[in-house]
Amino acid sequence: MIGFDKLAERLTRSVARQSSRRSLLALLGAGITGAAAFPVLPVARAAGHAGGPAHQPVTSGNPQDPGDRTSCDYWRYCAIDGFLCTCCGGSVNACPPGTEMSPITWIGTCTNPADNRAYIISYNDCCGVSSCGQCLCNRNEGDRPQVRPQSNNDYNWCIGAQSSVYNCSTAVIVGLALDKPL
Amino acid sequence: MRLFALALALAAAAPACAQPAPLAEEPLLQVARLPDVWPKSFVVVHDINFNSILDGRLAVVDTASPNQPLKGLVRDSQMGGALFSRQRGEILTAETFYSRLTRGERTDAVTIWDMKTLQPKGEIVLPGGKRQQSVIYPHLFQFTNHQKWALLANFTPAQSVSVIDIDARKVINEIDLPGCSQIYPTGERGFSSLCADGSIFSVVLDAQGKAASSATIRNVQEIDHQAYFSTPAYIGGTAWFVSQRGLVQGFDLSGPVAKVVPGAFSLGTAPGADPEWRPSGYQVINADTAGRLYVLMTPHGKEGSHKDGGTAVWVVDPVRKARVAIIPLKGPTMGIGLTEEDVPHLVGAQVDGTINVYDTQSGAFVRSLGATVAFNPFLVYTVR
Repeated sequence: MIGFDKLAERLTRSVARQSSRRSLLALLGAGITGAAAFPVLPVARAAGHAGGPAHQPVTSGNPQDPGDRTSCDYWRYCAIDGFLCTCCGGSVNACPPGTEMSPITWIGTCTNPADNRAYIISYNDCCGVSSCGQCLCNRNEGDRPQVRPQSNNDYNWCIGAQSSVYNCSTAVIVGLALDKPL
Repeated sequence: MRLFALALALAAAAPACAQPAPLAEEPLLQVARLPDVWPKSFVVVHDINFNSILDGRLAVVDTASPNQPLKGLVRDSQMGGALFSRQRGEILTAETFYSRLTRGERTDAVTIWDMKTLQPKGEIVLPGGKRQQSVIYPHLFQFTNHQKWALLANFTPAQSVSVIDIDARKVINEIDLPGCSQIYPTGERGFSSLCADGSIFSVVLDAQGKAASSATIRNVQEIDHQAYFSTPAYIGGTAWFVSQRGLVQGFDLSGPVAKVVPGAFSLGTAPGADPEWRPSGYQVINADTAGRLYVLMTPHGKEGSHKDGGTAVWVVDPVRKARVAIIPLKGPTMGIGLTEEDVPHLVGAQVDGTINVYDTQSGAFVRSLGATVAFNPFLVYTVR
């Protein structure tokens, strides 16, 4: 499985870097620079516990990676769809204990408001435990229909894990988006 | 003394006279049944149940009943697919299970449920553990061949379609579908799919469920800028798609292979946009039998807004290519359905779980069913 994981990881990074869409997504990312400063979708908002206390903020402590990782507004979540692993026992780049990270996934390109760079984000799902149920977040910048699996966040990407039961989603930086014309 | 005794007797008897007869004993072990023929006000609401996707379900809902709209539930586990057939009197679900709930041996299966009892009456186990799991698209599981067969999408991420003979209770073939997704029944026996290169691909199936012929039409979709929502609305044999930016395109699927309906058109604009009106939601387009399209719109349209949900429905005549009405909605809505009534009602499934019913002729709000039938209602199925 480790070999397969590594292969899949390389493939993900390779697809991300070679995708002909990346310049478009970088443009889109540039177009939405500062998106993290705006409130997000009503869907994501509605997913919280109505009337219940919010999660306390979790930050990186690094000014170059700003924002609350329990909030749907966090810059890396620009194309995420699911429960935020930071609220589920994991983190922005690690799955919760007891789960398995799916090696295949979808990607997004999000602009970091701190350095204004477009980063390729891999939204690996964590699998094998039932729905986390905390911090549901759905953002769709750059999301495209299922004809483009690598840029569609409606697939259950836990199909790459031993169990396809979905728990939560991470948002791992896998590289910088290169700026090339379409 | 006699008078005193009489008073005592009357006092003792008075409460007994005022009290009604006790409630009758009731039979035990009763289970309600649905009508033999579901009323035309019935729809089915698909609840993905985010907080326990393993326990997804279909809610049978009477849109005419404000106080008891939920008529029953059918299990639809793990981002399941669903099909409904009045002709067969059956509901079909396509699901995935693990032997230890979240782990263990995976079993994919189609279950056939009786529409009157909502009890299972048959099962088809699917080999290979490859059923596609997604949030939630009706066109991953479709009928063909006059509802004798079902077509089911697979994704491993290799893409294929299983051809299932429902009455024989077996998978009879698998069609490889590299680079294409979704199943749009086409002709008597076959389907079309949209593909990553912007084409539409049609397959004609023979009597054994094997590919007899196929055809491709290139450049029907500009995925970067005018991507179609994957779920179209059907008027007769024509599937009407709408793009993320509001372009409407029809495909005639009545013949053996898809044909482009000439003359794509834009939904246009309307006041109140910030920055612009666009379709948004998970089930954004539907149609009535009079040939009108209903499109779920948000005034806050921009890149990435296409699944936020909408707050208005634009009613469109695809022949005149013109909007004929706007129906304001009570709240952000994820999916719109229509009842089978002679004058159909529009059914809106809101983000907060509320189901609201609107008059398609006047656009008026008719009634709310409250958030009483589903936790996360995404799709409203018309039962035909």
